Amino acid sequence: MSYTSVSFLVFLGFAACLYRRCPASWRPALVLILSYAFYLTWVPVAALLLAALTLLTFFLARASGIGGRLALAMTVFLVACLAAFKIALLFPARGLAGLIMPLGISYYTFKLISYLLDVHWGKIAPEPSIIRFAAYVSFFPQIVAGPIQRPSDFFSQLGSDQGSLADALPRIAWGFTKKLLIADNLAPTVNYVYAHVTGLQSIPLWMAFYLYPLQLYADFSGLTDIAIGTGRLFGVNGPENFNRPFTASTITEYWRRWHMSLVTWLGDYVFTPLRMATRTAGKLGLAFSITVNMVAISLWHGLTSGFLLFGFLHSVYLVAEAFTARWRSKFFKRHPAWNTPGRFLGCLLTFHLVAFALVFFRSPRVSDAFWFLQHLTTGWSNVSAVVGSMLSQISARKLGIALVGYVVLELGERYRPDLWVRNLRMSAPRSIRWSFYFAATVTLAFGFSLLVLQGSQAQSPFIYEIF
Amino acid sequence: MSDILDRMQNVFRDVLDEDGLVLRPEMTAADVETWDSLSHINLIDAIEREFKVRFTIAEVASLMSVGDLEALVEKKRAPKT
Repeated sequence: MSYTSVSFLVFLGFAACLYRRCPASWRPALVLILSYAFYLTWVPVAALLLAALTLLTFFLARASGIGGRLALAMTVFLVACLAAFKIALLFPARGLAGLIMPLGISYYTFKLISYLLDVHWGKIAPEPSIIRFAAYVSFFPQIVAGPIQRPSDFFSQLGSDQGSLADALPRIAWGFTKKLLIADNLAPTVNYVYAHVTGLQSIPLWMAFYLYPLQLYADFSGLTDIAIGTGRLFGVNGPENFNRPFTASTITEYWRRWHMSLVTWLGDYVFTPLRMATRTAGKLGLAFSITVNMVAISLWHGLTSGFLLFGFLHSVYLVAEAFTARWRSKFFKRHPAWNTPGRFLGCLLTFHLVAFALVFFRSPRVSDAFWFLQHLTTGWSNVSAVVGSMLSQISARKLGIALVGYVVLELGERYRPDLWVRNLRMSAPRSIRWSFYFAATVTLAFGFSLLVLQGSQAQSPFIYEIF
Repeated sequence: MSDILDRMQNVFRDVLDEDGLVLRPEMTAADVETWDSLSHINLIDAIEREFKVRFTIAEVASLMSVGDLEALVEKKRAPKT
């Protein structure tokens, strides 16, 4: 049951009505039942693994307590489990074809590990209720693709309020718009180029170079919007995952704005302990910790050489930035007139570095990525014929819709009209508020039917669903 | 503002390159844009040098806020009985 399917919307409507009618003390149990019901619609047998790992973690953390070794042993076991599934994916032909990736394992394993380590370090006390704990691990709005919420943040919200439709629905609608209007309309162009990459040169490659980062952002952040909005229907406000990543003027800033729940997770549980352990090694220790952290981020996506190169490139960028940070800071303090142009150039450079690394992330094979990068500057003589043949394969109309949509996305996230509406809603008299709700509901219903109708021919799964 | 917090503020301003930063005990990394995992260790290093103390991995890992760090510095500086 994908988030963009009609059956999910029916399930969600039914689940939200149930939740709002449910007595407060039963809410955690209801969230747990709904989460497993949702999970069982994907691959039922994978629910056994989810339940087993949940139970094991719950009891071991309790037995282990602060500073206990059992929590560390279980953490190692969970990492091994995740790695085993990722390795199995590499060998589909060796009798492991039946072993499919359990849905959301990359996300819920990280939730389990953060719980174990938080208990181990004494950050939180072990959760006494198995129901609340299992609801945290399996929470259905977050299980497909995060965001990865920390246990203390989740437990403090679970069951405490009846959820807010006004906070939830606009966010869900925004996510659907990003996915169906922008990401799905960019997909045909990007998919075409990456499917025929070794026959293409120049302009088509440049198009994919610039469009794939936009597609990935619209797709993944749209999925996160749906997840956060859905969580709010059940009284849980998940952590933000994106903060306008393409406005970043350095790669360091980019990673503060992109997939934030994963990056801060790795920062707390991998980078910080590693950096503490290696800080006597000076700059070498810094470079080592950054590289391990970025390689961990890349391999979390899958154990392929393309992801590995993507992570390695980012570690090179980050190490270069860390080593020049003092110098850059001094330069901009001494030459304040350079601040604005420096920021602008920084944004341009950062976007290009990110897009460059994403060629390795997106290419089916590493050899394709090298072809892609080598042929960006060749083949300009017959460029009109190549573009003509490409445009006959993809829909220029879809591409146009996507690009206009993307501009609206950036403006919307810059000026946040949802916050104005919210303030207006809080202060307006009742009659105005209800007229507004009515108008918003009609617009949402109408807009959504349009989106589903026009996206129905070629709806693609979310990119981050498979990790 | 306590003496420890005041001195911590100077360290934070220097390391994070934010001259106008005002520290509050309830502040977390999410409240300051330049406070990420890279600068976090630089902060820890600089705080250790400023107060002549040494933190362990577990101590640093369990910090949640500026107040926690202040309490940890205070605990470390207290004469051992």
